[in-house]
Amino acid sequence: MPKFLTSINAISWYFLFPVIFIHFFVVAFPSILSLLLCLTDWNGFGRINYVGLENFQELFRDRVFKKAVKHNIIWTVMFLTIPVIVALIIAYLLTGIKRGQLFYRLVYFFPYILASIVNCLIWRYIFHPRHGLGGWFENQGIDFLAKSPFAMKETALYAVAWVDMWHFWGFLVIIYLTGMYQVDDSLYEAADIEGATKFQKFRYITLPMIRPIFVLSLIIIIIWSVPTFDYVYILTMGGPAYSSEVVANHLYSQAFQRMNVGYASTIGVMMFFYVGIIVGFFAILRRMGWEV
Amino acid sequence: MNKILNIFLTFILTAFFATSTFAATKVVWWMESSADTDPTVQEMMCDAFNAEQDEVELECVFKEDINDTIRPALLSGSGPDMFDTPGASYIKIYQDAGLVKSMQEYADQYGWQDKLLGWAYNSGVFDGELYSIPKNYETMIYFYNKTLFEENGWSTPNNLEEVESLAAKIKAKGMNVYAYGSAGWQPTHEHLVGNYFNTYAGPDNVYKALIGEKKWTDPEFVEAIELLRKHMVDEGYWSGDLETYYSLDWDDFNNEFATRGSAMLMIGTWGFNVTATNFGETSDDWDWNPLPILNSQAGSAPNYQLATGGTMSINAASKNADGAAKVIDWILSDKERALKVTGSLGYGAWLLPLKYTDADFDPNIDPRQKRFLTEFAEASDSGNYGYTTWTFYPNDPGVHIWKDMEVVWAGDITPLEFMEESQRLWDQARADDALVPVGKR
Repeated sequence: MPKFLTSINAISWYFLFPVIFIHFFVVAFPSILSLLLCLTDWNGFGRINYVGLENFQELFRDRVFKKAVKHNIIWTVMFLTIPVIVALIIAYLLTGIKRGQLFYRLVYFFPYILASIVNCLIWRYIFHPRHGLGGWFENQGIDFLAKSPFAMKETALYAVAWVDMWHFWGFLVIIYLTGMYQVDDSLYEAADIEGATKFQKFRYITLPMIRPIFVLSLIIIIIWSVPTFDYVYILTMGGPAYSSEVVANHLYSQAFQRMNVGYASTIGVMMFFYVGIIVGFFAILRRMGWEV
Repeated sequence: MNKILNIFLTFILTAFFATSTFAATKVVWWMESSADTDPTVQEMMCDAFNAEQDEVELECVFKEDINDTIRPALLSGSGPDMFDTPGASYIKIYQDAGLVKSMQEYADQYGWQDKLLGWAYNSGVFDGELYSIPKNYETMIYFYNKTLFEENGWSTPNNLEEVESLAAKIKAKGMNVYAYGSAGWQPTHEHLVGNYFNTYAGPDNVYKALIGEKKWTDPEFVEAIELLRKHMVDEGYWSGDLETYYSLDWDDFNNEFATRGSAMLMIGTWGFNVTATNFGETSDDWDWNPLPILNSQAGSAPNYQLATGGTMSINAASKNADGAAKVIDWILSDKERALKVTGSLGYGAWLLPLKYTDADFDPNIDPRQKRFLTEFAEASDSGNYGYTTWTFYPNDPGVHIWKDMEVVWAGDITPLEFMEESQRLWDQARADDALVPVGKR
């Protein structure tokens, strides 16, 4: 047998082959196919007709798509701020707790391990106008939460984002906490000797030292915000009146409700390019020497 | 020794050929799953079929979201011998793609056209051949709390003026006019749109628009949508206000109706079962009526909208199509058995569109249910029927009806703009040859 077939390098490839094979047929090939389908008017079953860039022209006229893109941007901004700030503060405070810390970590992380359908049902029930908080306040003669925020077009997107953030922020607490425990104690001891306040220690020691983990969390949030789907689908189906429609939801509706698979692929391609740009941006930062 | 070997081989070969020759043909049927009805269907249809004959062995497989499940199976050239779909618009797509088998030869052989109601048979005919048979038929009606109506001296309404006058009286009593909500099923909006099209614009106009002789932007349709907007948004007929309507699911609004939170429930005939069950736990009595006519151009007598709730078809790739046809024929051939099955399911499922007569009914049937079955059959046979969006609309215009109705209610577009978009999607569907069959009126 030729030597190169039994070299360490070749053996590594043998082990990788099953994964690459599965990845190609399950992920890569459908993705490539999707790139081609965006140039067709396929309905998911019958004849495939080439339509050129017609789907892209339609996409830029599509008012629901524009609305959905805007909602995705709002969604990303919300997730980059509220849960990140809260998780950083809570993680930092937790580092000061010596006894019972595990209990808090468990409580904060618990919503993250629940299925999205469970989280959604809990909050749908809480905001239910008849037997949720609104009904309870009504019985006390107080007109508060009489209407579910999921059912009002002014609040639906924020209400859904709230539920998703409630489920997500515990995950951030855990990864920030892990980063904070890796910071060398001697830095804090030196700061104590210099008379630094708790905030100064956080600002000048903790935050710079956990920067790789922090930036990673931001990348995860930005990328995960693009295909966000389940919470919107379960709680509002993008309604009322598309007020909580996000891009992935629009894609689903086009592909599986309206049977416009070609057009849905065009939406998918746009999402793919967007994620590519984000990943590329961080790759450039890394090349420039940023610790990301 | 050779003799023994010969006898042994002869026995083995005989046994092999006997089992190959006489083994029952296996037919697999993927059905839409429903936890409430699956055990009854398994027992009264699938097991009963297998017990009655030994030519075909039927295996029923209950699947969640049948349309999502069947699509990849059919596309891969495999899948079951028989399958359900949510409606005729899906069959049209499968037929175009050559994924569903024409059942015309079986229909001629077994005389299915004579067994089924005319409109129901026609709903599965594409390009002159039968591709699907409705498993269930339904229409939109309204239930009302009879005890409550009698206590207050209210009469059931027959026209728009009476509807609005009654609604004012109900609201003055602190109740909601109709119970309903979309949290459990967003497309409930299309039930309401269909009701207003058929009772305001009228079935003749809807028919003309379906076949392209009228525009959906004509005034009667725009006015129907405007009236629905007024009743939903300005008047809050359904569950008090738009936001509460969006928040209530099936259990919520059925419960609200049974506990006097609302005086009426405008819903499909699938509501018979749950209404009877819920009122069984109260001291109130209930009854039902066809929808009141809201405009004289919709005719003088109430109309029943035609709707099929699910269809059954044969896979084009099936190797046991003859066996599958035998299953279908067995199902369609015994009206008494069919009524027994649907009766066990509260007439909310498996109500096959067969030509029932008074003599077919169990004497113990609820008279209100029987009245529906006979009145619907008479009305639909005499041509006094309307059209539901989920049976007669192609996919894209159908989704537009329930998705974009919310945009009208939100005030973001006008009823005219809504109908203009509807017309555009219909034009597109017509150009793509994606329309579903509408029997000649």
